[in-house]
Amino acid sequence: MRGILAIAGKDLRSLFFSPLFWVIGGLCTLVWSILYVIRLQQFAVSSYQMQMQMAMQGQSEGGANIHFDVFAAHISLVNFIMILAVAALTMRSFAEEKKQRTFDLLLTSPVNATQIVIGKFLGSLGVAWALVAISFLHPLATSTIASIDWGPLLASYIGLLLLVASYVALGMFSSSLTESAVLAVVMSLIFSVGIWFVGAGSEILDSPTWVAIFEHLSVGTHFVSFIKGSISTAGIVFFLSVIFLYCFLTQRVVESNRWR
Amino acid sequence: MIEIRELTKAYGPHKAIDRLNFSVARGEVVGFLGPNGAGKTTTMKIITGFMAPTSGEVKVAGFDVFEEPIEVKRRIGYLPETPPVYGDMTVQEYLRFVANLKGADKTKMNQLVDRAIEKTNLGDVRKRLIQNLSKGFRQRVGISGALVADPEILILDEPTVGLDPRQVAEIRALIKELAGQHTIILSTHILPEVQASCQRIIIINRGQIVAEDSLDGLSKRMTGSGTVAVRVRRPTPQLSDALKSLNGVRKANAEGNRIQLETDGNEETAERIAAHIVQQGAGLLEMKSQATDLEGIFLQLTSSEETQGAKEGATV
Repeated sequence: MRGILAIAGKDLRSLFFSPLFWVIGGLCTLVWSILYVIRLQQFAVSSYQMQMQMAMQGQSEGGANIHFDVFAAHISLVNFIMILAVAALTMRSFAEEKKQRTFDLLLTSPVNATQIVIGKFLGSLGVAWALVAISFLHPLATSTIASIDWGPLLASYIGLLLLVASYVALGMFSSSLTESAVLAVVMSLIFSVGIWFVGAGSEILDSPTWVAIFEHLSVGTHFVSFIKGSISTAGIVFFLSVIFLYCFLTQRVVESNRWR
Repeated sequence: MIEIRELTKAYGPHKAIDRLNFSVARGEVVGFLGPNGAGKTTTMKIITGFMAPTSGEVKVAGFDVFEEPIEVKRRIGYLPETPPVYGDMTVQEYLRFVANLKGADKTKMNQLVDRAIEKTNLGDVRKRLIQNLSKGFRQRVGISGALVADPEILILDEPTVGLDPRQVAEIRALIKELAGQHTIILSTHILPEVQASCQRIIIINRGQIVAEDSLDGLSKRMTGSGTVAVRVRRPTPQLSDALKSLNGVRKANAEGNRIQLETDGNEETAERIAAHIVQQGAGLLEMKSQATDLEGIFLQLTSSEETQGAKEGATV
């Protein structure tokens, strides 16, 4: 446990003190904030128009939904940016250790491969989740000027945290495969974007069994259900499985270093 | 403390090390000597549990490296060829991290870090980022990292590479100082290093142990031989032939106006050589007589058809 914490703490610290994190964090905040404000304003205009219309027709129920019109769009943007950001944040995780030969220190310390991987995963996860936390400030600020439904918002964020954790596992795995950070970034992007396309199998196959299988494997299906506000066990299990799978594969790669 | 039996590491048909057998007792300082590529680093990596061997057995403090790697790693401080330091940490942070990773006693953390800094003379740079330090300092930070958790065994792979002569002397003094408390394995291709700090020497060449003895033992082995180097003004081919035929001279090698003679190490022989050159009127300019030192032993043991390669490996 101590080994895990030592490695996680070291990675977290070195990421937080690296210019890379602040550049990424700054750019993310900039993009999210600009687009969020634009969307919020569009929503304000359209919901005002809708209300006027309803008032004229004498309706009092219903209206525009801020969750789908603003928050869901914001979260999908955050998701897209996080694919890029996590790839950049995790690229050095193992690649740099190997390149700088500091990996020798980890491999000759009294920690096993599993502990190294968990430590590294937690370290990267910390900074990735910090970025997600920044993106939560936008809906939070909105809540001071509008009454919002917290349920679906929090469900979406739980989904987002799990999804980002999956990207971290994928990025870490890519980084463990190579000494080159550039190659790690490219692989990480391919893997992260790739898992979104696994679900596409359900659209090209005819057999209902296969369609069902691919729908279950689709990141989109599970993530959308979180955005809709349902925290399903299937969704949680799906994301945890992805995280576990890639942590396990990374552990295998780390362990294999001994046998070369 | 360390026992190695029939250790082999093969990369395909190429054997990096081939059935090594040796053991190191508690508190001993062993020099691991050999030309570059002889298998020193490979052997050390296997002992530290970094790498798995193809076959054979390594036991450290009674624990098998492959059955209980964590127990073994807890007891070993290892300095690899490239010091494993993080550029974005200060010296102090780095040592703290290493101590933590090695599972050192938390209550003694500050003491351990201070001790390691003091022993390697890093006091002036303890708050500086490692990436801003020179190569020599980084090397010392690496040594400091190997020491910090106070391990029973220290494995140092070429600890003085990249240091200036004064720092080299300091590190050698440090190794001597540590000798009583730790078991140390030290690899090097620098001969004075082992002469200065090791009690026992293992010479390895092409993956095999070619000699294993104490420094005295190795020297004794070589008594009854020596070399005499002469420089003359007017060298002739006849001269070196004539010198070779002198009593006590085994071999003569002429190169320009220098002649290298292998002798039986007796002073009379040297006297005869001098007398002969003077008689011939070849103009004796310089004459140096020496008993075979470690370098000679090393060259003799590691040179075969590839004498040139071994010579390069034995740069002093």
